[in-house]
Amino acid sequence: MAIIERPIATPALARAGGITTPVGPKQALGVFRRPVSSNGWRSWFFTVDHKQLGIMYGVVSLTFFVVGGLEALLIRLQLAQPNGKILSADLYNQMFTMHATTMIFLFVMPMAAAFANYLVPLQIGARDVAFPRLNAFGFWCFLAGGVFLNTSWVFGGAAQGGWFMYAPNSSRLFSPGHGVDFWAFGLQVTGIASLTGAINLIVTILNMRAPGMKMMKMPIFTWMVLITQFLLLFAIPVITVALFLLSFQRTFGATFFDVRAGADPLLWQHLFWIFGHPEVYILVLPSFGIVSEVLPVFARKPLFGYPLVVFSGAAIGFVGWGVWAHHMFASGLGPVSVAVFSFSTMAIAIPTGVKIINWLMTLWGGKLRFTTAMLFATGLIFEFTIGGLSGVTHAVAPSDTQQTDTYYIVAHFHYVLFGGAVFGLFAGFYYWWPKAFGTMLNETLGKINFWLMVIGMNLTFGPMHILGLQGQPRRMYRYDTSRVGSGFFNLTFWNLVATIGSFILAVGVLFFIINIFYTYKRRQLAKAPLDPWDARSVEWMTSSPPKAHNFDVIPTITNLDEFFHRKYAADAETGELRPVATAEELMAIQEANADKNIHLPGPSYWPIILAIGLPIIGYGIIFSHILIAIGATVIFFAIFGWSMEPSVPDPSDYDPPSGNDGGGTKELATVG
Amino acid sequence: MTRPASAHRLRRLGTPLAIVAGTVLMAGCAKNETQSIFTPKGDNARKINDLQRFPMVAACVVGVVVFALLGFAVYKFKDRGQPIPGQGHGNSMIEIGTVVVSAVLLGVIAVPTTQTIFKLAKTNDCKTVVNVTGQRWWWEYSYPVQAGIPKPIVTSGELVIPTGQCVLLRVMSRDVIHSYWIPALNGKKDAVPGRVQPLRLEADHPGIYDGQCTEFCGLSHANMKMEAVALDAADFATWVTKQTTDAAPTAAKVDTSMDKAAADGFTTFSQCSRCHQVSGRVDADGNPVIARADQNLVPGAAPNLTHLMSRSTFAGATFDLLTPDCRANLRTASPEAFGALYLKGVTPECLNRDTLEAWLRDPVALKPMMPAATGLGQGMPNLKLSENAIDQLIAYLETLK
Repeated sequence: MAIIERPIATPALARAGGITTPVGPKQALGVFRRPVSSNGWRSWFFTVDHKQLGIMYGVVSLTFFVVGGLEALLIRLQLAQPNGKILSADLYNQMFTMHATTMIFLFVMPMAAAFANYLVPLQIGARDVAFPRLNAFGFWCFLAGGVFLNTSWVFGGAAQGGWFMYAPNSSRLFSPGHGVDFWAFGLQVTGIASLTGAINLIVTILNMRAPGMKMMKMPIFTWMVLITQFLLLFAIPVITVALFLLSFQRTFGATFFDVRAGADPLLWQHLFWIFGHPEVYILVLPSFGIVSEVLPVFARKPLFGYPLVVFSGAAIGFVGWGVWAHHMFASGLGPVSVAVFSFSTMAIAIPTGVKIINWLMTLWGGKLRFTTAMLFATGLIFEFTIGGLSGVTHAVAPSDTQQTDTYYIVAHFHYVLFGGAVFGLFAGFYYWWPKAFGTMLNETLGKINFWLMVIGMNLTFGPMHILGLQGQPRRMYRYDTSRVGSGFFNLTFWNLVATIGSFILAVGVLFFIINIFYTYKRRQLAKAPLDPWDARSVEWMTSSPPKAHNFDVIPTITNLDEFFHRKYAADAETGELRPVATAEELMAIQEANADKNIHLPGPSYWPIILAIGLPIIGYGIIFSHILIAIGATVIFFAIFGWSMEPSVPDPSDYDPPSGNDGGGTKELATVG
Repeated sequence: MTRPASAHRLRRLGTPLAIVAGTVLMAGCAKNETQSIFTPKGDNARKINDLQRFPMVAACVVGVVVFALLGFAVYKFKDRGQPIPGQGHGNSMIEIGTVVVSAVLLGVIAVPTTQTIFKLAKTNDCKTVVNVTGQRWWWEYSYPVQAGIPKPIVTSGELVIPTGQCVLLRVMSRDVIHSYWIPALNGKKDAVPGRVQPLRLEADHPGIYDGQCTEFCGLSHANMKMEAVALDAADFATWVTKQTTDAAPTAAKVDTSMDKAAADGFTTFSQCSRCHQVSGRVDADGNPVIARADQNLVPGAAPNLTHLMSRSTFAGATFDLLTPDCRANLRTASPEAFGALYLKGVTPECLNRDTLEAWLRDPVALKPMMPAATGLGQGMPNLKLSENAIDQLIAYLETLK
């Protein structure tokens, strides 16, 4: 159920036992042949392979990470001194809006999607996701939305209302220009990516696990992805509605948030944060999953309290829906609501704290190897704990009325999101790089990368605790010399420290990029062994990078940490663990018994064409209604082509046509 | 593969731990950070400060324990060739224990939190009421008629309150959401258009307490500052009396005491009074001049300038009306001396003439605003005033004691 360029020749099974395609793409549209290339640049545009798409998600979101990082550096340069002159007020406001929007929607979310896309089918022993074309469509929507959003820079300026885009400041009267329109429509398009991805991964995880893999034998990363996708499934529709209300207000003069027409602008805040708070867990849970994979491997112990980690993840997922108003403690909710949301916010600290203790106990008594991946995972425990603890201090609502909208909050969520989500992603990069590319990232560069990032992030965000507690509000393009104070905690000094820290952090990230190029250059020398980390889960039970069909044989699962238990067994007498098989031996067994008839859906033009239609409509809404018609035409054309295209390519679509040889089926393809 | 030297461990623990612990434990000793949340100057802020101390210390303690365990584990269990550990999956006692301990700790925090939430929501014990209205990018303070205030007062730039009693702010907005925050006196309250939100303030001693709009409100959000001025009962009464008097002169032609420049400024100001109210001005027919809601502006009002020279800031508390020296004198005045000094207002030698001139020359250059926005303008436009007109206007403004 993914792409393979050519059905494996199995004459006996062909036609007779195989599925019959009701209508071939040629019959459907007459002119278009289905794309068939499996390599070369074309394959990247029309692929439906979850691994290729995962890598594409990764490359694009890493690019946006750099963009968002440069925006952050400009912000820090502006604030290095009182009365900064680097950016104008307007540009600064655009910068912090786009920094947050980029980092959240165009880096952390899609980077988590990159990991999920690449790894989930491998971790559950599947050959692809349930809906491969939908998967490709999701990626192209993300790219289209992200590019569309960023073109606002050249079409008269980006949005400047903050990533929360509170009404009524976001209305046309108070935010003239097209920035907010770009923002609303761009996020709408990336939202489609998240929503389709969520449906796809949920169906995949629930339906396509290898035989024997009960839910409670699923790798923990897959579990966290599953919870995240449920959060997305329910959160994205809320922001979708909110963004439509906003777009209608700006484009058609609707009055959803217009006080003069009797509306209450707090409606936007409720909608935004009902999405926005689960969003925080959407950002951080995949990284929790990554760390929960990495720590056991390098501690050579199973994850401590696996069921508790699963359930605390689920608990975070549930309670995460009941804490949104803690973003609104100062907005006048009344004491009863404030008290209730204060309690629920404290309550969510419990499952979060449980996770930290579980990780700590995973290390306890282990045999710890400090590879770069492990360093990032351990770093996450440290940094996230700081962010979590400062979070508890905001749960105390009266204190929060002092802290909210100051740099103390900025410090808190950067410890959570940078120290949590991003450190987790970096642990994942180093850990799964050999899986995806067959090469090992350089460990020395990796350690420089890690230490610069740790030092940089603590120097950047640590002082922000001080700045916030000394009363420096957020989102100010300048601060006054008259209010910086003069003692040890004066704002000028700590702002400067934060700026210096941000550059150290940037150099740290630069080392990661250098490492990628360095590793690529030495790819012949840096070849990864089959099982470089002595790993534990199923994705390592195949070649690196995996073949198009992932596994020669779908493994049958009997254990959590299946791979580890195939490699090691307890000595009957001493009870000590002894290696019983190497990864190479296990691989050889697989290859010897490879499935003969592997059936994978073919690539398709339609996902990318459909996704291109969406931003055309976006430009149309903003600039010219003719473009709307063009975009809509493209979309309808693509939907028609898509719906008429069978999920399995007709053999005659192959080049050279494979005639009657193709079409053997091993699994039923879902219509993707 | 690698040797996690103990130096690594120390570095990892050292910097951030010092920062966090240092921040929380020592931030109270800061001096002159006027917006520090650890230096309450009144009852409400003190309640918050009393409440926040325990969770912050507890968070530090929990953090230190976790980091100690983490550091120990990293050091103790690193790979020194020990055998592969047993593949045990957990320990229910530790797991349940974590849940119980954290729940108890949070419960301990939750009780006083709830009490404080309700205490700070009380409104019926406040004696003085002030309507506070946010507008891009300044605050208007209007005092309805009440005990001790016989006539309504409308002012801006500084919220003047009596000390030692609860003052209830009714926080509102005319355009977007702003947030009212004087850290030394209480937490924040958003100014949401269409709502009236209560906020208690109380100051122990006379003095100036700084604040800042904390809800992002667009272009010049960073310049939307506020100052709360607390005066003791007698001084507050004096202030009220002064503010309830109309500005003299009512019309330039009838006031012969005015010098030439000020009289010309009075005439020039007729343009300004389209937006800026100066109570007491009358037109040629002797009718009061009212700054009417103007369709080109949101929503048609600008700071009331009736007693401009009684304030120490202008343009929405963005700029000092006092020269730096005079400002420093006022700010460092003892609580006993403060009231008298403040009530003197801006004396000619204390007037920050340069900034005021620059402001009149081109307001948008000093404070980013959107006077020419499509739809409705927001903020003071560049009126292209001649130097002569600027001098005259300042001469007139100086009469607005």
